[in-house]
Amino acid sequence: MTAPALRRSATHPFWQAVGILVIAYIVVVWVVPLLPGSAIVPKSVVLQYMVTVLVGVLIYVSDNEERWARFKEPIEAVLAEPRLRVVRAVLLVVVTALVGLVAYGQVATTVAAPPNLRSIHPAPPAEITFRGRSITLTGLENPLRAHPESLALYLAEGKGVYYRNCLPCHGDHLDGQGHFASGFNPLPANFQDNGTIAQLTESFVFWRVAKGGPGLPREGTPWNSAMPKWEDFLTEREIWSVILFLYDQTGWTPRTWEKTGTGDGGRGTGHD
Amino acid sequence: MIDGLLVLALLAPLVPRPPSLVPLQDTTKGKAVYVKWCAGCHGDGGAGDGPSAAHMLPRPRNFTGAIYKIRSTASGQLPTDADLMRAIDEGLPGSAMPAWKGRLSDGERRDVAGYIKTFSAFFADTSQHAAALKFSGEPGGGTGAAALKTGRQFYDSIGCRKCHGDQGRGDGPSAPTLKDDAGFPIFAADLHQSWRFRGGGSAADIYHRLRTGLDGTPMPSFSDLIDQKFLTDEQLWRLAQYVRSLSPPDPPEVRDVIHAPQIAGPAPVSPDDSAWARADRYWFPLVGQVVRKARWFAPAVTGVWVQALHDGHTLALRLSWDDRTQSPDSAWLGFEQRVLETVAGDDSGPPKAEPWPDQLAVQFPRRLPEGSGGMERPYFLMGSETDPVYQWRWTSRPRKSVAGLARGIERFDTLPGALAGQASFDHGEWRLVFTRALATPDTANEVQLEAGRAIPVAFFGWDGSSGEHGSRMAVSTWYFLALDRPTPPGVFISPVLAMLVTLGLGLVVVRRARRRGTARAGRQR
Ligand code: HEC
Ligand code: HEC
Repeated sequence: MTAPALRRSATHPFWQAVGILVIAYIVVVWVVPLLPGSAIVPKSVVLQYMVTVLVGVLIYVSDNEERWARFKEPIEAVLAEPRLRVVRAVLLVVVTALVGLVAYGQVATTVAAPPNLRSIHPAPPAEITFRGRSITLTGLENPLRAHPESLALYLAEGKGVYYRNCLPCHGDHLDGQGHFASGFNPLPANFQDNGTIAQLTESFVFWRVAKGGPGLPREGTPWNSAMPKWEDFLTEREIWSVILFLYDQTGWTPRTWEKTGTGDGGRGTGHD
Repeated sequence: MIDGLLVLALLAPLVPRPPSLVPLQDTTKGKAVYVKWCAGCHGDGGAGDGPSAAHMLPRPRNFTGAIYKIRSTASGQLPTDADLMRAIDEGLPGSAMPAWKGRLSDGERRDVAGYIKTFSAFFADTSQHAAALKFSGEPGGGTGAAALKTGRQFYDSIGCRKCHGDQGRGDGPSAPTLKDDAGFPIFAADLHQSWRFRGGGSAADIYHRLRTGLDGTPMPSFSDLIDQKFLTDEQLWRLAQYVRSLSPPDPPEVRDVIHAPQIAGPAPVSPDDSAWARADRYWFPLVGQVVRKARWFAPAVTGVWVQALHDGHTLALRLSWDDRTQSPDSAWLGFEQRVLETVAGDDSGPPKAEPWPDQLAVQFPRRLPEGSGGMERPYFLMGSETDPVYQWRWTSRPRKSVAGLARGIERFDTLPGALAGQASFDHGEWRLVFTRALATPDTANEVQLEAGRAIPVAFFGWDGSSGEHGSRMAVSTWYFLALDRPTPPGVFISPVLAMLVTLGLGLVVVRRARRRGTARAGRQR
């Protein structure tokens, strides 16, 4: 394309519209996932964005008579002009083939894994039995915090417990990416994320550690969770100390009972 | 030339400086990073004896010895700063050593690299500092038959097979005797799993390791053979390219659903049937059983390749996995004992090595899940007392396959009737085919393999010569098996209709546009 032709298309409403759509697509599909804290945009959301952009563009071009007429020029030309016969034929074939493909994709069923609908922080019981002893979870605080003078000792103990037991799954960085993590689904919890222990009271964490995957209610998909029932391995004191370590190492502070009130059993709100 | 320099000078600020030029310093900050993130494995004093070390094989590096595996320097030399940065940034795949890039800031990683050097006096001695070897660039044509043939020749002639075995699966005659410098047992790497190579899996990475060796391990450097003119530098590259060709081009991707296409002929019963060549291969990683007592932290079976076919009546499931031995194998009994002594578990002392067989289990629920979106299924780790799972189990000695119900790891009850299983062992690889009728009379206990359903499936593996049996095993989570039906012709009706309608509409639009166009042209005239 020659330079003047390029300049002409850059000011033409039709090619401007095409340009905007292409840029919007690139931004949504490739640029947005690069932003810190964002993930790949799902296809359905991409479609929504693109429809919104298209509607916006159409409103803009049809807003002014002359602009609308110029916008339609290339479309009408392709549809009618004899010299664009080849372009017209190619367009017809391509659009038809695309429609066929999409329709085939809709009807050709392939078996997919069933959706894994899972409540991440299910409601905890009010009370549990730990090695035969009953423990009331509601209102329970980490008893080790009552001895600030020994905190360093408890933390060292908790670190040892973590490295001997939790490390292969939750990882050294506590981000759920230990060297065995890839073998499990759901993936081990990421404690660095603001959606796990940062949202929970220590008594909730105690329940999850003590009872593990098998102790989850149905909505927590207990059949999939590889989280062991640590009651079988660790003492109550060891569990409280490793909980101290989790908060200390990640820098989160546990949710407190004053803040949660009593309604939600110590789990964060809006997280199920 | 001048132009080139100019361009370089202009680009210089844009190109990140190689880490080796960035001074590794500030060991006070480095110490803080080390204590917080590294000491749990490498130990407070850097001796590789942190609280988790006893559960690991390979053990975390002991920094006090200053012996490093991944270097660009000659065998026996200290690593460069860039080498240390690389190990910290990328981690050591196939070991517990994580990649720290993205987890710690650039500054923190540099500081901690500086700090680990303070554990050994060798780094302080400036006369010890080694320069990186000059590596040549990779010669082209590395995937061609001629290159691979040259590579294979040197694989045989310079003794790789002594340790790595004829086909490279780490099953050579010397393999059961190998120890690292600290006396821990060490496996000769499985050259079919390049994604687990400590120093990276590309042909260039492999070439670098062949030039430098992996210090502290029996894996030697082969640079001296070039000096002795036993082989040329290019021939060493060919060897690296040959080794690279043994693994898949990309690390295997884990897919949730195994598709079993329907074939016309009878479902193959032999693992070496030609029908398998056309069936898609699925990789499933297996990891240590660290959920129930007694836990196992050093799984030897790192994953299984799975293929599935059915003929409308029978399902054939082919499993292949790398295993250095046909256990029990008395040549490996000493190695097994050393593994059991190295890897701590839940027992009070190391168990005695015994001639355990190799085993593999495939697990299904007893019945296909119904209701609540078809999600509910038994506990992935071999079910429970109240909700057992249906399993196919194969053992290498006595060579047999059985079906049965597992109620947790400890309890397995065989079901009456035989299960067809055929296995072959080839140079460090087991290949096993289970076949079973899709429908069976015992609908209460044996899963009915319905086409078009997502059938939950899980896998378990044991390598007897690593002391694995019972709860000491490698496990997977639930995945799915789907028996595909041939596409019924009816499926094509609606897409064809949609295409016809689109084409028709398109033609109408064009016709109208052209008529309007000629009318307008007529008016203008
Ligand atoms: C989860 C345990 C673990 C943690 C945490 C860990 N490492 Fe390692 N590291 C290992 C293991 C295991 C090896 C030895 C792997 C091998 O020999 O194949 C190793 C090896 C190394 C090596 C030697 C590389 C070589 O070429 O030989 C360096 C350097 C190293 N680690 C640095 C660090 C630093 C720095 C940190 C903290 C930021 C750290 N590691 C944290 C487990 C760990
Ligand atoms: C004396 C035994 C021995 C011989 C001979 C030997 N290797 Fe190795 N090799 C090993 C061991 C042991 C390891 C595993 C080291 C580890 O785990 O850190 C290894 C590791 C490797 C790796 C993986 C490197 C990495 O980054 O992890 C490659 C590739 C390899 N060897 C190729 C070869 C080739 C090619 C030859 C022949 C030129 C050869 N080896 C000869 C024992 C040997």
